[in-house]
Amino acid sequence: MVDSLLSARGLNKQFRSGDEPVPVLTDFSLQLGAGESLALTGRSGSGKSTLLNILCGLEKPDSGTVQVLGETFDARSTEAASKADARWGGLRRQQIGVVFQEANLMPALSLLDNVRFRARLAGQSEDDCRDWLERLGIGELADRFPDQVSGGQRQRASLAMVFAMKPALILADEPTGSLDRHTAEAVIGQLFELQARHDCGLILATHDPELATRCSQHLDLGHLPQT
Amino acid sequence: MTLPAALFSHYRRHPLQLLALAAMIVLATMLWTGVHHLTSQARASLDQSESAVAERQQVARTDGSPVTVDDFVELRRAGLCVMPWLEVSEPEGGRVVGVDPLAAGCFQTPGGQESPWGGELNGRPFVDISEAAELAREQGSELSLLVSDDHSKGDLPPGYQLVPFSVGPATGELGDSFLLNLDALGILVLLITALLVRSVYLLGLAQRRDSFALLHRFGVPHGRVNRLLVVEILLLAAVCVLPGIWLGRWLAAGLGSGFGQALEGLFDQPLYAGQGGSWLVPLVTMMAVILVACLADFLRPIFRGLMGGNRRYGCLVLLVLIAGLALTVWVTDLLWLFIAVAMVFVAAGILAPRLIASLADWRSGHDRDLQARWRHRELAVLARRLALPLVALQFAMAMVLAVQALVTTFESTFDRWLAQRLEADYYVEVPESADAALALDWLAEQPGLSASGLWHRVIRGRATLPGGEDEEETRVDVFAIGPVGPLVTGWELFESAPQPWQRLQQGQGVMVNEQLARRQDIAVGQTVTVLFGSQSFELPVLAIYPDYGRPAGEILIHPSVLPAEFETGFQSLSVSPGNLSIEAVTDGLKGVWQVEALTVRDNRAIEELASAIFDQTFLLTRAMTTLTLILAAIALLMMGWVFFSTRAWYFRLLVVWGLSRRQATAQLVRLSVSLSGAIALLALPLGVWLTWVLVHRINPIAFGWSLPMAVYPRFWLELGVLSMLIGLSIAFLMSRQLKSPTVAPVNANALAGGER
Ligand SMILES: Nc1ncnc2c1ncn2[C@@H]1O[C@H](COP(=O)(O)OP(=O)(O)OP(=O)(O)O)[C@@H](O)[C@H]1O
Ligand SMILES: [Mg+2]
Repeated sequence: MVDSLLSARGLNKQFRSGDEPVPVLTDFSLQLGAGESLALTGRSGSGKSTLLNILCGLEKPDSGTVQVLGETFDARSTEAASKADARWGGLRRQQIGVVFQEANLMPALSLLDNVRFRARLAGQSEDDCRDWLERLGIGELADRFPDQVSGGQRQRASLAMVFAMKPALILADEPTGSLDRHTAEAVIGQLFELQARHDCGLILATHDPELATRCSQHLDLGHLPQT
Repeated sequence: MTLPAALFSHYRRHPLQLLALAAMIVLATMLWTGVHHLTSQARASLDQSESAVAERQQVARTDGSPVTVDDFVELRRAGLCVMPWLEVSEPEGGRVVGVDPLAAGCFQTPGGQESPWGGELNGRPFVDISEAAELAREQGSELSLLVSDDHSKGDLPPGYQLVPFSVGPATGELGDSFLLNLDALGILVLLITALLVRSVYLLGLAQRRDSFALLHRFGVPHGRVNRLLVVEILLLAAVCVLPGIWLGRWLAAGLGSGFGQALEGLFDQPLYAGQGGSWLVPLVTMMAVILVACLADFLRPIFRGLMGGNRRYGCLVLLVLIAGLALTVWVTDLLWLFIAVAMVFVAAGILAPRLIASLADWRSGHDRDLQARWRHRELAVLARRLALPLVALQFAMAMVLAVQALVTTFESTFDRWLAQRLEADYYVEVPESADAALALDWLAEQPGLSASGLWHRVIRGRATLPGGEDEEETRVDVFAIGPVGPLVTGWELFESAPQPWQRLQQGQGVMVNEQLARRQDIAVGQTVTVLFGSQSFELPVLAIYPDYGRPAGEILIHPSVLPAEFETGFQSLSVSPGNLSIEAVTDGLKGVWQVEALTVRDNRAIEELASAIFDQTFLLTRAMTTLTLILAAIALLMMGWVFFSTRAWYFRLLVVWGLSRRQATAQLVRLSVSLSGAIALLALPLGVWLTWVLVHRINPIAFGWSLPMAVYPRFWLELGVLSMLIGLSIAFLMSRQLKSPTVAPVNANALAGGER
């Protein structure tokens, strides 16, 4: 498919707990086009984080293929691990923005410096970093450190960071999981707005069924993997 | 679940942390016990050896023939306190010495000296004289008659004379100097130990902060948790201190036996005091140190209250540093000097991590490159969080620097000095009845000797320097040498007038040793008044010469200056016979003096023995300091590793943001190497300063002589390489944690954005 941003086919992943294998993903596939959004839901432990990690190369599937932004990664390929890592690194650096539930910022850098650090790594200019913070409503906090602002403000800064790198794909793992409903609403609203405006892909892991309906696709990973 | 069980459950989940804590206590205890044990053993050993080799006097016949049992009987009948000393050489080398405890009874007069041997009659080497006499029938033996120091020349019946008796070179003063340095080392090691224990304790607290917060939320008061923690650390200490002490003693025994062997080789008797020593001192000290190290938190609020704000505290510490530095220059009292050194160390320890952190913060404010800015910020956090192990490492490095410099200087100086003092191959004692002038003529006639000039006569005795108005007079040793030849003209002089040796030979002045020059403030060119008995001489000072190893003042003059009434204590001839054999020389002298036997001392053998004992003590000192350094490095490694586990997530973020693991590791390496490098850099001035204090302040105050202050940039380089290695090891340990996908930090602190 020509305008496919991301496609994953036949992903399998299992962990081990002691001697017992714990299958997390079994023959899993998904597709995402540019400008599309996809919600991942499922019980705790159903494998949402594992899947997101696989889709950005932080974790390796046991088998299956991931095609993303023109690069193909096959778990069974003979390519050296370091080479694949380097390709994944390049993608994460410039095109795939990852947001976790918390601790997305370097504690020793101010909010603004965090955004600038990320923008620079992505090869983007540092000039509009302050703009991004302002657009997300935390311009006046730019020089504060992460421990000097609230959890919601930190997550907004994390979004500013992701947008400052001008990504083609955003992977967000419960980005509002630790926020109150009102704040979460505001942060997610901004995420969707910016995603639509910049036409990038978004995969969002969430426990919120209502949130899931706002995405163009919805995948439920179901229950705990059977042990 | 009870509260203690809940508290302890942390360690059930993280047994490695508990193990690390326990290991640190064991290692710290081992280190200090080792040093303490060695110090007390070395002290006991040196005391023993000193009493064994202390110069005593013996009675000899004026006709030069060996003393016999008949002489003993005659002397006893004359009412003298004499004791037979029968040395029997054993066929396989070594010797036993037969002594008579009954005869020795009179040596132990109240206020008098103790019995001439230190130990028991157990054959090592002392036995009862009857036993030795039995052996002497088959083996070669030599009888001496020791006489109590209370007797003087006048007490002797005619035909006898008093001569010095010693079984080896005296090492008393050198030993003291060495012990003083060991003591200073022990105090420093105790300080380092306390730092290590405290850092481990704080680490345990930091790791369990979440559990404490939770307990607090559950309504458990802070005080109760704290009390439980103290009990916990005391229990842990009680369990770990004993194996630590055992290990320390084991270590000391291993290192010490070499020392013992050297002493034994030197004095032919087992002088190393062995494994006596108490367990109580290390046990109590370590428990106290652990308690203080862990309870320092309760003291801090009081301290802070007194100090005011953080800034004022910093200023105060800086003041303490400056005051300590100034004090070390001004004070002339050993106790104050030690206090000043402690002030400097404490202040330097408080300031060093702060300095690194502030510099890193300042740098990061000026970095255009954000990666560098981030790295410098992380460096500041690391410096603050690892402050205690860093300071321990800094102290250990400073100590190693100072001790290495000191020991190396000691070694080269003593080697040179010993070589100077023992320049001639042999000493030949001049018997009391003999006329040294005859011998001089005979020596001058020998063609080989007159060509080389490698011989002179030595006269030893005492003189007095009269004091000023309210000063007391000073007794000094007299060291008269003539003719002044190549045996002495090569001596190194600290200061000298033109042509000092020539003028000494012509009797135009004196030379004084460093001790005397320091004490009396004597300079070259000045004139000193010397009293030999009642006769007074005004003599210009020609030079000041180094004379290590003893505090006594000494003047060097030509024998021609000595008046007739000068009471000669001891006379000898120093001879390097060259192609003439020493037998030829002694035979010649026997002929000249008409005696049957001569006492000859082989200086090369003495030099060898003395070097051996120094080498061993130096090796020991080096080993102890290196051990301290290794321990401090391990502590930093361990703490760095545990601290990093709480921060690994943020380094992992770099990988999430697209840096390769190698690049992230490179950042880590730069970070940890900067940290260890910075602390090594800060240790350098402290180490050089400590060297200066040891060499130029402590030694002169304690012993009156100073060593040349030398710095050894090669050590600096070695230490730099070592600090690099420590940094690399930390980075290596940390980078392993980058591999596994770390879960996001869960502790309350990290959730709030992490420490910065
Ligand atoms: N490193 C690992 N080793 C062993 N098992 C793991 C590992 N990581 C995850 N798992 C297991 O894999 C399963 C999926 O975990 P994952 O974190 O993907 O779940 P999740 O859907 O993100 O859950 P949540 O909604 O709670 O975040 C879980 O059962 C988890 O216990
Ligand atoms: Mg998850």
